[in-house]
Amino acid sequence: MVKVDLAKISVTEANDRIRAAGENGEDVEVFNPDARHHIGVGLIHPINVRVNGSAGYFCAGLTDGPNFTIDGNVGWGVGDNMYQGSVVVNGNASAIPAVAIRGADVVIKGNIGSRAGQVMKAGTLCCGRNANFMAGYMMYGGRIIILGDSGERLGEDMSGGSIYVGGEIQSLGTDAKVVDLDSDELDSVRLFLDQYELPFAGGFQKVVNTGEHLHYKGVEERVRPMPFHAFSGTHAYWNAKTQEDIQIKSRTGRYRVRGYGAARPMPHLSDLAFRADVAATADDDVLSKVNLRTVIGDKHGAKPLDLSMPVMIAPMSFGALSRSTKVAMAIASSMSGISENTGEGGLLDAQREAADQLIFQCLAGRLGWNIRDMLRADAVEIYISQGAKPGFGGQLMAKKVTEELAAIRGIPPGIDLRSPSRHPDVLGADDLAIKIEEFREATAYKIPITVKLGAGRVRDDIKIAMKVGFDFVELDGSQGSTGASCADVLEYVGVPTLAAIEDALNGLAEIDCRGQLPIVLMGGVMDGVDAAKALALGADCTAVGTAAIIAGGCIACMQCHVGSCVVGIATQDPEHEKRYKLQQEAQHVYQFLESMRWQLASIVHANGYDDVKQLNRNDLVALTPEAAEITGLEHAPELRERERQRLPANWKYEFAVR
Amino acid sequence: MCGIAGILYKDTDKCFNVGQSLVNMLDGCQHRGRDSTGFALYHKSTPGQLHLRFFVGDDDGTAAAIGRVRNILDEFGAVVVEDETIGKTHRVVVKFDGDVQKFAYALEHGAKLISIGSSLDIIKDVGTAHDVDESYHIGGHQGTHGIGHVRLATESDVKPEAAHPFWATGFADIAIVHNGQITNYWKMRRRLEQRDFEFRTENDSELIAVFLAEQLSRGIALETVLEQSIDILDGTFSFLVSTDTEIGYAKDRLAAKPMIMYESDELIAIASEEVSLNRLFPGETLDTREPLPGSFATWSKST
Repeated sequence: MVKVDLAKISVTEANDRIRAAGENGEDVEVFNPDARHHIGVGLIHPINVRVNGSAGYFCAGLTDGPNFTIDGNVGWGVGDNMYQGSVVVNGNASAIPAVAIRGADVVIKGNIGSRAGQVMKAGTLCCGRNANFMAGYMMYGGRIIILGDSGERLGEDMSGGSIYVGGEIQSLGTDAKVVDLDSDELDSVRLFLDQYELPFAGGFQKVVNTGEHLHYKGVEERVRPMPFHAFSGTHAYWNAKTQEDIQIKSRTGRYRVRGYGAARPMPHLSDLAFRADVAATADDDVLSKVNLRTVIGDKHGAKPLDLSMPVMIAPMSFGALSRSTKVAMAIASSMSGISENTGEGGLLDAQREAADQLIFQCLAGRLGWNIRDMLRADAVEIYISQGAKPGFGGQLMAKKVTEELAAIRGIPPGIDLRSPSRHPDVLGADDLAIKIEEFREATAYKIPITVKLGAGRVRDDIKIAMKVGFDFVELDGSQGSTGASCADVLEYVGVPTLAAIEDALNGLAEIDCRGQLPIVLMGGVMDGVDAAKALALGADCTAVGTAAIIAGGCIACMQCHVGSCVVGIATQDPEHEKRYKLQQEAQHVYQFLESMRWQLASIVHANGYDDVKQLNRNDLVALTPEAAEITGLEHAPELRERERQRLPANWKYEFAVR
Repeated sequence: MCGIAGILYKDTDKCFNVGQSLVNMLDGCQHRGRDSTGFALYHKSTPGQLHLRFFVGDDDGTAAAIGRVRNILDEFGAVVVEDETIGKTHRVVVKFDGDVQKFAYALEHGAKLISIGSSLDIIKDVGTAHDVDESYHIGGHQGTHGIGHVRLATESDVKPEAAHPFWATGFADIAIVHNGQITNYWKMRRRLEQRDFEFRTENDSELIAVFLAEQLSRGIALETVLEQSIDILDGTFSFLVSTDTEIGYAKDRLAAKPMIMYESDELIAIASEEVSLNRLFPGETLDTREPLPGSFATWSKST
């Protein structure tokens, strides 16, 4: 038995000892916990941990295997995301007990706080007394047993699982209904109660999902894909796209859903130019003359990402994209010495194997999120929002929610998945600070923690990101794409990439932290020229999503949401996926990334530098009054002419891999 | 976005280490915000006397600010009984029995007024609980009750005056600390401004102070005002209020911001997190209670 006294050592030190005990198969007893946070997080061994007193937030969180007993009360999120194992709390639990569990037993003998079992997928949460507001909120599976009364809005927006209530149901949530339970189920519940010595003689009411909100109403008819240039055309008000939108909305009575990003023209990186005449100084040997290496993520002492150039693959999910596409991205990222990102929906073994550097993304629904994959990631990312649809959660239409995909994510197959937009345990900056600390404790402070921010109120958000202790920020402007979204949101919600980076830099300057928080800028970065402009503006790195997909065979039909992608990229249908030539497309993506490298190096060189970090705002001018207004750069419309004459539309491709 | 704490000892015949208790509680939840820390403490009141505290800075302008305050005190015939310049503030005890609201609004022209009360004294500054304790000797304060706050600035500035607690300018002895975000801030602020209430910051929490004070000034009981606040305020909130004799809380219906309390025969303590309560009783397992969504309560000194 290992004894840990929190009156004498810090929680971090205690967690190191608890982990070591786990590896040795020894049980642990914790003394003087005094409601401190993060006790025992990140444990992946089946040992017993006894906490003699009350624990704070996320006790036993991000674990797989251990059995915890807590004598007193627990704070928010006890057993957060626990896979196998158990937690028994003799006192009360605060908000979101058993949030996002995937198989554990979480037993609270006293009362439980609001939103118990939010986004849980499997396992059992049992409450010996009364539950508070919105128990079972957005649960996807598993069961909640409440021996006392339920609280208001029970089972709000649940999509799977069952809730058994022994006392009174105060009120039901949206999409929840009371049904009869059969004797097998009752036996199973009683068996559970016996196992945890919870005497209860009464009967139960059972609450399940009504099934009414699991699918969009009204099927959007398939239309002939419109070429992107026509789709995004501005030549007439009542153009083909506008008409098509109106016709389809008039038939379905709701917004359209589509893939890709904003098609509406707005000021972008293409409205900037370098003062230096890049084409005139093109040099075959430029790569050996310029340093592009970028190290990012060591702000708080973690092992950083070490990128061969300031470019990442942007977060895109297995789900929106096929397995083959994700693996191709991973292969290409390794060939080019940059990082790949899981996006929402879990980490694939093949992807992990193929990617030298992999960022693991944590979203509000915690779909596929787990401690074991955290521990094998090179960085973890908290997704707050994305540029294409800031403020909204992910969307995956039923055709893509296959049995396999649903199993990885822990959700019912075949639903129109609308992921939650808000993290269960991050309702403010204060909560976010505690969440980050949980991740750091669970990964022993070894890997960088980053945040994905869709551009909204960037000036405020960047300050919060700085204060709560992220290692870097991935800032995503509204030209970013997505696999499925309400089309009107894509077009009209968000802040353009150009304005986003300006707001971010100004926000940091306002709190005297300019240069102290690395920014990865994404959202419509189309090539190395755009990347160079982003870096010169003040970003530390960039990321490409759509461009990488196009390099890997996407034909930009914007029908990603449908799930029948003709080139096997945005699909989960094996027949369609077959069309995707994984190795060949990986090579294409790699070649595109190398063309970016060439462009970056050429621009750095043309500006008279030997390191990409030397690019700066003085190197840039704005070609339009709008871009000048947004960036504060000198307005130099005369360079527009030069861009046209000396940099023909296809000049960028002349730098392709030899 | 913040952490809050409040404590009230029920036995009014004695004095307790309220200052040290609040410093410990706030240190316990400092991870919720490190930008600034503040305390609302209550001194023993003397009839006819008011405690005033101003921000005067600690630079070249300090002497001038104190001079301006002096002139206004003279104008209103307020006689200085005691004064002290400490940290970035100047504290004055005066004899005064006129209209406090007019007095307060006038004094604002001299220097930034932090609080007025027959017993209230708000002390707040940038930095942690320990930083503020070191500069202002909070730990030595003896009393019966008080509230405190640690702040992580999200939308308004990191300045001492944007720190909590907030005093409802013009209304003696009322202070609030708030965790959350009031989303109908501008609507309510304009309504109150039309009734000649003045605001000193753009911090949404100041609105709660002004709203409560306005209601209390009409003679409505604190408990009733808290009940109304749950309907009238929109957004997320867990807030604490203190007067010269009471403390109370209100929590929004969505229960978005945390709050937990411990009550014994001796005291009531409320905080954002149990870790703060445990700071008062190290090594003990406390029988705590989480307030229900949309609930409120008050406790008064057992006079």
